[in-house]
Amino acid sequence: MKPRPIALLAVVAIVASACSSAASTPSPAGNTPAPGSSATPAPAGNTTVTLGVDLPLSGAETPNGQPTLNGVQLAVAENPVPGYTIKVVAKDDALNGVHDPQTGATNIGQFVNDSSVFGVVGPFNSNVAQAEIPVSNAAGLLQCSPANTNPGLTKGAAALQLRSTHPDQIAYVRVATTDDIQGQAGADIAYNVVGARTAYIVDDTETYGKGLADQFETTFKALGGTVVGHDGVGKSGQSDFTALLTAAKAKNPQFVYFGGVTATGGGLLRKQMAQLGMANIPFGGGDGISDGSAATANSFLNVAGPAGDPSTYMTVAAVSLIPDKAKFDADYKAKYGSEAGAYSASGYACTQILLQALKAVGPDRAKVRAYVTGQTPAPTFNTVLGNITFDANGDTSQHIISDYKFDPTTKDWAFFEQKDFTSGVTTTAPPAAAAPSAS
Amino acid sequence: MDAGILTQQLLNGLTIGAMYALIALGYTMVYGIIELINFAHGDVFMVGSFVTLWLLSTIGVQNTVNDPVALVGLLILMFAFSMVVMGLVGVLIERFAYRPLRRAPRLAPLITAIGVSFILQNIIQVLYGTAYFNVPQVIDPLAGFSFKLPSFAIGGFAVTSSLVTVTWVHVFIVVLAVAMMVALQVFVRRTNLGRAMRSTAIDREAAQLMGVDINTTIALTFFIGSALAGAAGVAWTLNYGLTKFDNGFQAGLKSFTAAVLGGIGNTTGAAIGGFLIAFIEVFSSQLGYSRWSEAIVFTILILVLVFKPTGILGQQVAERA
Repeated sequence: MKPRPIALLAVVAIVASACSSAASTPSPAGNTPAPGSSATPAPAGNTTVTLGVDLPLSGAETPNGQPTLNGVQLAVAENPVPGYTIKVVAKDDALNGVHDPQTGATNIGQFVNDSSVFGVVGPFNSNVAQAEIPVSNAAGLLQCSPANTNPGLTKGAAALQLRSTHPDQIAYVRVATTDDIQGQAGADIAYNVVGARTAYIVDDTETYGKGLADQFETTFKALGGTVVGHDGVGKSGQSDFTALLTAAKAKNPQFVYFGGVTATGGGLLRKQMAQLGMANIPFGGGDGISDGSAATANSFLNVAGPAGDPSTYMTVAAVSLIPDKAKFDADYKAKYGSEAGAYSASGYACTQILLQALKAVGPDRAKVRAYVTGQTPAPTFNTVLGNITFDANGDTSQHIISDYKFDPTTKDWAFFEQKDFTSGVTTTAPPAAAAPSAS
Repeated sequence: MDAGILTQQLLNGLTIGAMYALIALGYTMVYGIIELINFAHGDVFMVGSFVTLWLLSTIGVQNTVNDPVALVGLLILMFAFSMVVMGLVGVLIERFAYRPLRRAPRLAPLITAIGVSFILQNIIQVLYGTAYFNVPQVIDPLAGFSFKLPSFAIGGFAVTSSLVTVTWVHVFIVVLAVAMMVALQVFVRRTNLGRAMRSTAIDREAAQLMGVDINTTIALTFFIGSALAGAAGVAWTLNYGLTKFDNGFQAGLKSFTAAVLGGIGNTTGAAIGGFLIAFIEVFSSQLGYSRWSEAIVFTILILVLVFKPTGILGQQVAERA
């Protein structure tokens, strides 16, 4: 028998009203406490909140983003916050295999629109941060970058422009120190560790690369060295640097410094130096070429190949001699089966800071932001990197750079010293047991 | 003055120019015969490098090959494979994307060419992803020799020389490119098929009335042009040991510029344009303006076109193809 339309409508109406009455039943998990329930604001049971992560996770950038994301996930697993279930949502800001500012800004916009997100870890690259800071600042969503080093993101007129919506409400902090410190460290290696008095500088004309290279130039000159040339890679996707390097060779530099990342040509530059008989000239770069051993596909050392000569240096704006290094390394290896990346601990520290805020004030974005950057005096965060305080711009109190050198036996970067630039330069060598010379 | 550095820069320019010239030939041949700017050509070159990557990983070559006999055999295999595969890809593109539009307004095949370019890039993106790929450099990239030019002084003007380094892979690429360009000239000028290509370029209808099979001739042009791009793809992997799905764009743009600079439709002009652009790039780097090299290249292109719209050699109508 055919059901009559009237009867059908009636059934639909009954079901619909049942649903709507179920939906309108007050749920205690919401923001407003249900009428009649106890006055304690603590949520009954576990509330699921989202920790956003924005990193470059595909293509040539995988060796940068993935170990950092692993650090975030390790921190979430090891630092439970009572009353909350933390869901990590990671978004990739690489487009066609290279970090992309527009993609990063889109990702942050999606986090802003997702009301369960209480904070974001990321981004990795400075030009991505330039696109993201205006978005997160306008929304008051706190971002903690594990790796951005460009000074203009937090300091000076450029930074005020980025956070023009709420100039006095900092929504972006970072645990890496800035390129003005990293550039100094590079110049310090060239002048004091290598003993070079002349240097040739190449940058990739990006926000990060040029800033780093310019600071290297300033410090190297201040130390008493001579910069015999400073040229840039004029286009993305350039593969041939032989002409640029031959021009450099004519100036007989004792050191070649590269401000840039592997994806914009760092590895090929080092490789072509060898093809032009310049392999014996020491080479240095910033954390943009810190992306794993020669066995890691697309890493600097992998692309540079046999030319990743012993005299290749690299600085990282991260703390290598972290207070509890042995435990962190062991935990990381147990979980992921590989060695921690240069920024794994930094990703861990950013996560700890956001979780600490969550624990103290709950998942409300405005409160999280105010807790981390709006208090006087600024709170001290106890992290895996040590104690961190953020200054008025959102920069870390730690001015620490780690220096690495290529080790031809392991075909990997070997850490050889850590420098603290907080007051003057304090150099710390690693404990003897960890030195690469140990047999 | 340092004669060694200048010599080194000339050698650098020759290597880069050889690759530009090989790719530029394909642009200019296709334009010569059907007046189409084949924007997909740079991507054909890129696919050629991936075909080489596939071949090497399939036969299990991971490193430099040191045995000379094995190396020669492998190089012949690599070039033959990439050139034949890319030649066939070129013929397929012509058959399915351009031939149906041969009588359509000029804009239609141009837009189609851009579409084919995206299709090729996306196929590689799907198959391989967006990362750089290391292609084993079968010729040791560091092997070579170095020499010093004599130092001398003329009337108080001292000419010194620093060490000039020449790697075998660079020598190989330049010799190979020049050999291919000479072979192409001989083919176009001395063979019946070459004559068919030239006559089709001059007047398609008249050639057809004289018994030239137009479709076969145009397909042959695409085959040769794409095969040369395939050869350039192999040369690229030998030189840089890296490839990426969007490599074709940069190289294609430069080579297209080379073809226009030399006089599009003119094969000799394409070769000259390729080397010229490479030398402009190299010497702007030598002067410390590497970051401006692209702007300088295009400024010179604009100047040439303003004063000589047909390019340096012009389109030699009677011989174009």
